[in-house]
Amino acid sequence: MGKDRLFRKESAHKKQKTSRTINIRMIVVLLLGTVVLFVPLYLMLYYDMITEHDRYEGEATENQTRSTSVSASRGTIYDRNMNILAISSTAENVFLDPNEIATKNQNLGVIASGLADILDVDADWIRKQAEDTTMRYKVIARKIDSDHSEQVRAFINENDLSGIHLEPDSKRYYPNTSLASQVLGFVNTDNTGTEGIEAKYDSYLEGTAGKIITTKGNNGAEMLYQYEKYYEASDGDSIVLTLDSTAQYYLEKNMQAAIDQYDVQNGAFGILMDVNSGEVLAMATLGGFDPNTYLSIYDEPTDQALEQLYATAMSYPKGSEAYQSAIDEYNSGVAAARLSQWRNRCVSDGYEPGSTFKLITLASALEEGAITLDSTFYCGGATNDIKGRTEPLNCWKPAGHGTETTAQALQNSCNIAFARIGIALGGDKLYDYIDAFGLMEKTGIDLPGESSGLFFSRGVLADQKSDASLCSVSFGQTFKITPVQLVRAVSAVVNGGYLLEPYAVSEILDENGSPIQKNERTVLRQVISEDTSKTMRTLMESVVTEGTAKNARVAGYRIGGKTGTSEKIDEYDENGVLVEDKIVSFIGVAPIDAPKYVCLVALDTPSTATGIYISGGVMAAPTVRDVMADVLPYLGVDPEYSGEDAALVDVTVPYLIGMTEAEAADALKQVNLQYRVVGDGETVTDQIAASGSQIPGESTVVLYMGGEKQTDLVTVPNIMGMSIENANRAITNAGLYIKLKGATDASSTVVATDQSTQGGLQVARGTVITVEFTDYSAQD
Amino acid sequence: MAEHTTAVARRRIKELNVGRGIIDLPFLILTLLLVFIGLVMLFSASYARAYSETGNVAYYFVRQAGFAAVGIVAMLAVTRVPYQWFRKWSLPLLAVSIVLLMAVLVAGSEDNGAKRWIFIGFISFQPSEITKLALVLTFAGLISGYGERMKTFQYGVLPFSVIMGIIFILLKMEPHLSCIVIIAVSGAGMMFMGGTKLRYFVVLGIIGALGFFWYISTQGYAGSRIDSWLHPELDPTDSGYQVLQSLYAIGSGGLGGLGLGRSRQKYLYLPEEHNDYIFSIVCEELGFVGASLIILLFLLLFVRGFWLALHAKDKFSALSIAGIVLQMTIQVFFNIGVVSNLLPSTGISLPFFSYGGTALLLHLFEMGIILNLSRDCTNNRA
Repeated sequence: MGKDRLFRKESAHKKQKTSRTINIRMIVVLLLGTVVLFVPLYLMLYYDMITEHDRYEGEATENQTRSTSVSASRGTIYDRNMNILAISSTAENVFLDPNEIATKNQNLGVIASGLADILDVDADWIRKQAEDTTMRYKVIARKIDSDHSEQVRAFINENDLSGIHLEPDSKRYYPNTSLASQVLGFVNTDNTGTEGIEAKYDSYLEGTAGKIITTKGNNGAEMLYQYEKYYEASDGDSIVLTLDSTAQYYLEKNMQAAIDQYDVQNGAFGILMDVNSGEVLAMATLGGFDPNTYLSIYDEPTDQALEQLYATAMSYPKGSEAYQSAIDEYNSGVAAARLSQWRNRCVSDGYEPGSTFKLITLASALEEGAITLDSTFYCGGATNDIKGRTEPLNCWKPAGHGTETTAQALQNSCNIAFARIGIALGGDKLYDYIDAFGLMEKTGIDLPGESSGLFFSRGVLADQKSDASLCSVSFGQTFKITPVQLVRAVSAVVNGGYLLEPYAVSEILDENGSPIQKNERTVLRQVISEDTSKTMRTLMESVVTEGTAKNARVAGYRIGGKTGTSEKIDEYDENGVLVEDKIVSFIGVAPIDAPKYVCLVALDTPSTATGIYISGGVMAAPTVRDVMADVLPYLGVDPEYSGEDAALVDVTVPYLIGMTEAEAADALKQVNLQYRVVGDGETVTDQIAASGSQIPGESTVVLYMGGEKQTDLVTVPNIMGMSIENANRAITNAGLYIKLKGATDASSTVVATDQSTQGGLQVARGTVITVEFTDYSAQD
Repeated sequence: MAEHTTAVARRRIKELNVGRGIIDLPFLILTLLLVFIGLVMLFSASYARAYSETGNVAYYFVRQAGFAAVGIVAMLAVTRVPYQWFRKWSLPLLAVSIVLLMAVLVAGSEDNGAKRWIFIGFISFQPSEITKLALVLTFAGLISGYGERMKTFQYGVLPFSVIMGIIFILLKMEPHLSCIVIIAVSGAGMMFMGGTKLRYFVVLGIIGALGFFWYISTQGYAGSRIDSWLHPELDPTDSGYQVLQSLYAIGSGGLGGLGLGRSRQKYLYLPEEHNDYIFSIVCEELGFVGASLIILLFLLLFVRGFWLALHAKDKFSALSIAGIVLQMTIQVFFNIGVVSNLLPSTGISLPFFSYGGTALLLHLFEMGIILNLSRDCTNNRA
């Protein structure tokens, strides 16, 4: 029975045996499924895992590892005597983790006020920084020193705070503040060198940051298989400059004194270079800045104007159009002021060299034989016979210089004579020489941002129909060169004709102090012969002894050089009128008989308000003189006194008390001093000046032979504007000693322009008063 | 009395099994291999998260292993039941699952805006998992009952469409797109195998496509999902995060993998690393070779399943076996397709691998059904 039912069931099922259609369709689904479902999976996995393996693995590693950087210490910048000019030290940044502060429910008020106290920032501002709680990193203070970072740590610990973090950073210190600021440049907040040596040699200085790579699970999950890799940081290389910080200081000090004395409006620039090697010993651009705080604006009038602009902006309602335009103006003003104070004008800016360029014209003409030392030129104050020039060519001396020799033409800085010299040489040749002197190319100095000046094309200079451009170029007008180009060209003029590649970096040292690169004298070519160079040295010395640069005389040294006064050719005021601002300059070489150093100083726009005649001879020559007087003894160039100088050199007063008159006279004679006697005793009972004091040679010592020594104070006479003779008399009569400085010509154009003790003051008898004399005939 | 009843039942089961062959060994071995490898990989993939969440590295593994053990016992038990039961209970199972699908909308727990899970006592499950099985069995039953009438619209299309339509509406309300797609593809596959005329598939295909796009358009996030599928790198921290992290894991694997247990991405980088994205960790640790072998196991399961279907003793058996393996294979395809970024992301678990006790239990139950039916296949009969 049961069996039957089973069989029936069985047969009932047999009716439903799979049909052919079902079987075929199942096979279709099987094949289709295999192809459609599995093939794409294999292909996709092959693509993900094999083709794109490297990419995903790299991204995964980045994803899974934390890299902590180990910062490299930036290299030091030294001067040539290994004095530190720029050095890095560790500092720390303080940052907030707003997300952590929010999630850990930290008291933001406590954090803000605490940090504000320690770091001297605004508490509200800190609170604002922490507002966006999705952020993990908001810097509150950068590069704080260890004192402050310890305070921050203590504050965190005391209050058990989360969300305040410190990270290491480095801070750049410039121990000499603004000294050589544009040469050094500075380092921005990202520790990248910006401007100057810091920028140019950034790749050497920065070093290679090391890092530690650690695997780490997400959200700090611990991983079983961890690995760590450590890449060591290598500190940056150090740079040794050719600069001498003492010489740099002397240059800047004297330039600043000139700026103050002549009320110079637009700053000044100056270079001191070794004429034989091309090493730059000092390079300065004033108004500079302090690289420690490079964002501040150091030009006071500009700073005040900007402050005022800012205050004006703030007085408008925020968001208004007036507010926006004032703020824009303020921002662009700030940016411009910064760029201007950071600019190294010695290499980046061309200027019209004026008469200093006559050295180049003259050297070229002499070398080429276009003129000789025996050539003569006539200057009648003005001439109309320059081909192609419509207006008359005037000399700076309306009365004219009359007939001049070549040497006198240079001494007088006569434009008409130099126009003739230029024509004699010819535009083609002059162009060749200017090119050969490297005035149309960058000097290649290892400082960033060098420009190459602005010059006529050969066609204009060698124009057959017109000598107008040729003439103005011959006396240094209507083109621009950079200060460093001029310094290099004049070096070639005096050093035997060798054109050098100037350089500011002498060595690069690796982190252990071993040199990895050394710069040496690089001669590019010889431009003029040794003979011509020697002639030029003589002529340049005569400019100081006889010509427009008498104010550059330094007792004990032989100085040669050339003055220059140039009007700016392409600057217009806000009304479109050509400004008549002048750049006065002097380029001097010492010792001129065996040249070692060249010094250029240019003062941009001395004020007419001082009443002092604006010229290179009156303003820049004395500045270079003072630089040389400071620098030459320091650099080991010993003074050699001869003739007039020797007589006036300072001597030490001997001890004379107890001597007879004859003995004293003998002792004084030996040191080149005169005497007079007061009283009638047998022996010297007292003396003025006191023994051991330094007074100029030829001065008169007072011998008291029993007579009473005068101990009262005397009044210093005001000798400003007096001639040497009168000044000498006035001071001597007052019982004082005079020491001369500057031009010592007895001519009427030389007058006292400064005295070391102001007139009217009371001083002890026998005090030495240094009086500076200036030759006002130096009108160029 | 009770003793008597059980004795009768036991005798009856025995009677119904008389003359049946042995279960298909290759299919059993493939199943056990996948369960075993799945468990090992689950342990490897889950311990970082288990440790971070519970402090016990074996937390997920122990639970899954427990379900696997119960599941294997259940699977073997299922092989012993009379196969007629499957057909008999198919419609009631479908009816229950539809009720559950309604219940989940009311009583289900909400997760990411979707209601898919029901909690009963200490376990939770997705009614849709049961629906998938019920659908296969029901369709197999219907098709074998209709016979030649499958060629007509009235029988070959209408009943299936109505059933699927009802299910889709309920799933849409959860919503649960991936389940709809799996049911649609496997249901259509069954109709195709059952003999529905090809021309109806054109119409159904158009309706299906329209429905699909309509569905997509109602989901606000669909567009951004497509974007993060095509360009996961554009938004690496948000919408592209999961895909990218998955690709990092898969791509890191390379040919030979980082080695078992050595995944880095499982350290809380890759979300759902022990769940929907477990295959990424498989790729990372076992490499292309290992991943290929595992896919090969699924392919073999698919092929062996169809081989059994082709040798089944009747239409119902054949279509049930084919339906279950097809459905599982589609699920494998979608899962691996999503983790490898072949397809846009959608939540589908990987059978035997992904963490989830009830799903594993159900999959093993399904394998039990196939093994049961395999006993009547021509090759397995004495």
